[in-house]
Amino acid sequence: MNMHKIISGFFFILAMTLNFGFFYGNPEVLIDHSAYELFAAIVVNLVATVFKLGDKTQLGAVLLATSLVADIQLIASATVWAFSLYVLDDFGAEATTAIVSLSGGALLANIVSVILFISDTVKSKR
Amino acid sequence: MNNQIFWIVLKRLRAPFIVIIITFSISILGLILIGGIDDQGRPYQMSFFDAFYFVSYMATTIGFGEAPYTFTYPQRMWVSGIIYMTVIGWFYAIGSIVTLIQDESLRKEISRNRFRKQVLSLGESFYIMLGYNGVIKDIINRVGIHDYRFVVLDKNESKIDELTLENFYPHVPAIVADVTNQRMLKMAGIHQKNCVGVISLFKDDTKNTQIATICKLLNKKIDIIVKGSSPRHLEHFKSMGLKHVQDPFDIVSKRIYYSITAPHIWLLEMWAYGHSLNLRNRDQFPHGRYIVCGYGRMGKAIEQGLKKAGVEYIMYDIEAKTYEKQNNTTIFGDIKDKEKLLELGVKSSDCIIAATKDDLLNLTLLNKAKKLNPKIFTVARENSLEELTMFQAAKINKIYVLEKILAESTYNYISKPLLDTFILQMRKKDEEWAKVIVNMLSEVIGMSPDYFEIKINLENAYALSLALQEGKEITLAQLRRSRENREELLPIVFLLLKRDDEIFIIPDSQIFLKLDDQLLIAANDEYKNDFEYIVNNLYELKYVLGNE
Repeated sequence: MNMHKIISGFFFILAMTLNFGFFYGNPEVLIDHSAYELFAAIVVNLVATVFKLGDKTQLGAVLLATSLVADIQLIASATVWAFSLYVLDDFGAEATTAIVSLSGGALLANIVSVILFISDTVKSKR
Repeated sequence: MNNQIFWIVLKRLRAPFIVIIITFSISILGLILIGGIDDQGRPYQMSFFDAFYFVSYMATTIGFGEAPYTFTYPQRMWVSGIIYMTVIGWFYAIGSIVTLIQDESLRKEISRNRFRKQVLSLGESFYIMLGYNGVIKDIINRVGIHDYRFVVLDKNESKIDELTLENFYPHVPAIVADVTNQRMLKMAGIHQKNCVGVISLFKDDTKNTQIATICKLLNKKIDIIVKGSSPRHLEHFKSMGLKHVQDPFDIVSKRIYYSITAPHIWLLEMWAYGHSLNLRNRDQFPHGRYIVCGYGRMGKAIEQGLKKAGVEYIMYDIEAKTYEKQNNTTIFGDIKDKEKLLELGVKSSDCIIAATKDDLLNLTLLNKAKKLNPKIFTVARENSLEELTMFQAAKINKIYVLEKILAESTYNYISKPLLDTFILQMRKKDEEWAKVIVNMLSEVIGMSPDYFEIKINLENAYALSLALQEGKEITLAQLRRSRENREELLPIVFLLLKRDDEIFIIPDSQIFLKLDDQLLIAANDEYKNDFEYIVNNLYELKYVLGNE
């Protein structure tokens, strides 16, 4: 058992589940999507990214790339939220769908990342 | 290579990044959850954006004040807690970045990276020098700007610092590295197309052998110039097919041999190494009885030279280390030593050669011999350049500085290849021939003629190459005309003509030139310019050739 593997695996999967939790629901209704959950998803995603830093292997590089994609998508989602709330002062259905679909993209990246992580674990002989 | 730095940085910054993310997120979450009161006294909750904004400027100690509204006491209590948490996290991150910059392995990686880039950007042909010392410095300085560039590897950091302080122009890329490390040799560009060769002149023959083997394996095409002095290693180098092995002892031995048997050949060789073309009696080795002190590598080499020259000699096997052990000093000259010298026949000898490894021993030995026989011709081996003035002050007739000999012959090989061939060819001729050449040179040009090499191609001899391309037949004699008055001769001497693998030493003046011929010409600076004018300028060439 590898402590580093446990912690990093925990964060990778938590990033994905939180991301899914935020994404799940009617994409046109903002009440279905909790801001706290988005916040948590961003934080956990950032932590997961840091855990992927500095791994020189081929797999490590791909994992890092997927994580960076997820970060950018989630931060973009939060930025759209803040921008339409404070700058545009107009919170229409368009803003809501944009926020949710951006997080949906991040979810895909997170799923890829977790699949890669698990396949690597399965492949390795104990 | 670039990635190496990137990965080191990323790995080291993991912990600080995590600390920052966690402290920031806890602080933001707390601020959102704790209720506040706005300017009109209504309760409000901070939004995510407000909280993120506030924490960002608080943690970085910028501090714009409480925003968007003045905080309530519960908020202030939370903030006073998170100030310490986030600010410490922030400073920790900055501290890690600063230590990272000073980190030894990172700095090494960065300097390697820079070195690699410098080597890759070398446009000209270059040599890789292994080890940096006085010899290498001398070679770099002499070769100058035009011919070759250099890359230096040395294990010792202080040596590399020394090189950096030297401020060579053009720049000499250098790095601290183990010279037998293949990775570093590759980094120094051994695989690059414009890498001409590797120069390894370590004192230790075994090290040179090791380096030569590695380099030969890495790149078969390059030239490997190594120093080798023991017969076993020389044999090994020969079997490896190395073209150029520098053996300073062999050079000394040959010089002594020629000086005794064919002083004019010796004179020509010395001239090629930059001395004046003037045979003075005090420079010449005397005929007669020789005493050679020291029977090491140099002593043995000298013995060979003397044997070949057919001179009577006696070897005195004195070794610096054993002498020091016996007498606790390397100053030669107590009563026992004096008796030994007399026993060797110092009074009836004409020349004494001190060839031990210790400079002080050589010096004192010769001094003593001179006292016993003031007329004796003294020759010293000097191992390091630093003590040269001491030897000069002692009025020793001939000083062989091994380092200098090594530097000179390597320099000639690299930068004046035709001259090197000239010396080799010349040694095959006899004294009479050399005498004629010396007379010719001194009559035509003067006592200290200079020499230069030129290749007949469009780049170096534009007009002449064009004429040759048109199919004109031009002899060397036709080119030897003054450009002021074509009836007069230009005072230059063609020493050597190299055509592919054919070598003509002192070529016949009626020989027809061809494209890509290489010429070695002796001339003074002024006439060198004249000659270059003639072969490059269409009108000058026309005038000199005489067909208007």
